[in-house]
Amino acid sequence: MAEYENPVIPEGINVSPTHPLKDFALLVAGISALIIVTVLALSLLAGQLARHIPFAQERALSASLGRWLPEPPDSAVDQKRQQYLQTLTDRLASAMKLPPDMPITVHYSSSKTVNAMATLGGHVVVFQGLIDTLPSENALAMVLAHEIAHVRHRDPVVAMGRGFAVMLALSSLAGFGDGALQQWLGGVGMLPILSFSRSQEEAADSSALQAVLDLYGHVGDAAAFFEAVAERQSAAHSPTMFNTHPDVEQRIARIRDFSARHVKPEQTPATPLPAFMKAA
Amino acid sequence: MYDLIFFLVLLLLGYVFGQRAEKRHFRSIIEREKQLRDILVFSERRIPDEDKLDGTLVCGSVVVSVDFFKRFVANLRNLVGGRVSAYESLLERARREAILRMKEEARRSGAISVWNTRLETSSIYKGAQQSIGAVEVLAYGTAVKPR
Repeated sequence: MAEYENPVIPEGINVSPTHPLKDFALLVAGISALIIVTVLALSLLAGQLARHIPFAQERALSASLGRWLPEPPDSAVDQKRQQYLQTLTDRLASAMKLPPDMPITVHYSSSKTVNAMATLGGHVVVFQGLIDTLPSENALAMVLAHEIAHVRHRDPVVAMGRGFAVMLALSSLAGFGDGALQQWLGGVGMLPILSFSRSQEEAADSSALQAVLDLYGHVGDAAAFFEAVAERQSAAHSPTMFNTHPDVEQRIARIRDFSARHVKPEQTPATPLPAFMKAA
Repeated sequence: MYDLIFFLVLLLLGYVFGQRAEKRHFRSIIEREKQLRDILVFSERRIPDEDKLDGTLVCGSVVVSVDFFKRFVANLRNLVGGRVSAYESLLERARREAILRMKEEARRSGAISVWNTRLETSSIYKGAQQSIGAVEVLAYGTAVKPR
């Protein structure tokens, strides 16, 4: 047999010399940045477009999605409460000069949840748990005006448009990877949406303050709800709904600042809530 | 949140154990390659002095699995393109290990060289979401010894 040579082959000639962790860090940082920028741009664009959806269309859409709204109250006292809320809302709506084709429908829920929310189609849900924490009609009006302002600013439809665009983008992106990657992509993509709604909350707060001032001539008790929340937060758990809301202390400060610049609240006493509004 | 923690723990476990296994495997490969250096391996199909030699088929096969960390990095690579260095070292290990096992079989049969050596690579677990769970490399050739 002929003579052959068998030289020693150097190590590592078939493998790229990058450290696996460096590779990982570069990829994660680069792709996260790309996703955040894309999602931000997409959600801004979708929000701008959603703002132009006619309110009548929004109402039609909410009618097909409205299954989760609370059932109409069946007991007499609940009907009375709903009636009262609707009257107060209509007064606020006319004080806020809402366009005539933008009716607000209030839904009363006897649930103990400390919350109120505005959703698609001008539907506002108020929970008994919230009413129980409020000292006066003025405080309730502030919360209601805040929710009406959301509807007026088209926040629910903008949020829906943004959410839909982001979900669509992320799910089409995540289609490339396996489950773990999808999870990671979903987590990164939700960050910008949370920070967006803060500016909407602030805008709603200032519109609501103006409406309460127009209706009652003063803004006493406007901060009552947030003061109750701040007390509860320091005392016990923090309710999940405030995750997307601006810092409660900041909101109280802003409301106090507003009332200091306008009529002094001491001159006019706050309007009390009717007795039937409080849970036994 | 718990999903994220679970995921990060998996990633960490994949990295720590995957890297340890890889380092240990490479050490063992280098050691055994030294021991089997005297068995020469050729890709040439025609064996010189064929009439004076006895030939026999030898083969070595190995299956190596991807760890969670490597799979995640490779998935990210999928989005932007480029060299998947996470899988490069995996396939290098598999090829060298397969050739080593083939040479070990040749050694047992008393052969001095292996001719017409071929490598086959296939991915196992191909069905699940297009991801490669494990890779098989098969090396085979004709081992010859003097008649």
